[in-house]
Amino acid sequence: MRTGTAARRGDWSAAKSVPTATTFLLLIAAVLPFRVPDYATVTPLFVLAAIYYWTIYRPELLPPLAVFVSGLTLDLLTGAPLGVSSLLLLLARTLVLTQRRFFVDRLFPFVWGGFTLLAAAAIAFLWLLGSLLEGAMLDMRAAALQWVLTVACFPAVGYLLMRIQRAFMSAV
Amino acid sequence: MRLAVPVKAIGQRFALPILVLASVTMIVLGKADTLLFERVRTAFADVAAPLLGALSQPVAAFDSVVERAHDVLGLYSENARLREDNARLLQWEQVAQQLGTENARLRELLKLTPDPAVSFVSARVIANSGGSFVRSVLVDAGSRDGVLRGQAAITGEGLVGRITDVGDRAARVLLLTDLNSRVPVALDGSRERAVLAGDNSDRPRLLYLPLRSEVKVGDRIVTSGNGGIFPPGLPVGVVAAIEDGIVRVEPFAELSRLDFLRIVNYGLNGVLPQPVMPRPAKPGRGAAREAP
Repeated sequence: MRTGTAARRGDWSAAKSVPTATTFLLLIAAVLPFRVPDYATVTPLFVLAAIYYWTIYRPELLPPLAVFVSGLTLDLLTGAPLGVSSLLLLLARTLVLTQRRFFVDRLFPFVWGGFTLLAAAAIAFLWLLGSLLEGAMLDMRAAALQWVLTVACFPAVGYLLMRIQRAFMSAV
Repeated sequence: MRLAVPVKAIGQRFALPILVLASVTMIVLGKADTLLFERVRTAFADVAAPLLGALSQPVAAFDSVVERAHDVLGLYSENARLREDNARLLQWEQVAQQLGTENARLRELLKLTPDPAVSFVSARVIANSGGSFVRSVLVDAGSRDGVLRGQAAITGEGLVGRITDVGDRAARVLLLTDLNSRVPVALDGSRERAVLAGDNSDRPRLLYLPLRSEVKVGDRIVTSGNGGIFPPGLPVGVVAAIEDGIVRVEPFAELSRLDFLRIVNYGLNGVLPQPVMPRPAKPGRGAAREAP
């Protein structure tokens, strides 16, 4: 444990909240009204990227409660059925946690590949649950496009989180 | 300190199943009783509104820069098109003025009761619904600005949707394209009645058209006023495609590029229940009155 050095720096509790804080920032970025045609229907799952990243690199700093609350916030802001995102994100975190050792010391393309699979599973889950709850088939093309965009955005989100991690959390 | 460790470990062990269970319970409860979480939603929207409002402004500024660059590129052709439009619209203005005076005279002859005064509130879109579930937006006007559940949200082009949840300073607009949106409409020419039903795609469908309907691509769709939610004659969209008996309508309003909306109060009480008790409308920001 390196808590000694962290405590000496005096900012360890602030640094420890970085994963939760960045997750919430990405969550808000996902609901901002960018006036790009059809963006709203295919908004990338930024929050999923954040949860994937932190679960691989600092799982203890993004506990289930933070994941639950971020999912709930997302549902409240988007108007989706309450509980859907929190369930999705909790399951995603659990899944990533079991596979974490395959990714933690690997090169970025490998980590990206893992996220591709996770995003596919997550969007398929959302589509299924959504179709079930609404009693009608949701648009499958929109879901596919959302998957492509989510995967395409991951390098940028991952890079941003990595820089943040290096800048603020070197001692934690 | 040592005692705290096992307690913490137990908490960690059971946190996940408890939270998953809580999520599932919320999904089931929310499905069984759609109004159950409405208060939570509106309260949360109220709290988040100032933050989202502040954040959506740089986004809007960025969008307008992009739009301006785009405009500059198309300046020449745009100008030519506008000249043409202007010439045509001037003719229309003449016609409209003639019709306006004629209409007023005829109304006087018939002793028709005048339409009720219309008031509206302008509101900025502060959050989109990301994802494939819902088509709705959050706006930064609520009951303190006089917004009520069931009111119509429009842009200059046409109908956008209706207010479903109202908080103190924020409200949610269910777009025409949402799976749960049903709007009584009519074909503009023939006055045939139908229901415009969203299905989360960009083009909502027309349901319950009369059997021998003569609907064709290009027909204008307006609100019919049935049900007393919207006034009759609001422009909604145009018939874009008819395939296998499914009639799809392209809304006039660009639903993916909304920034300012007008929430219109036509003084119709409508058939929608008002589960959140509306407070007495104070004259708020952006409220204005307009004669019909």
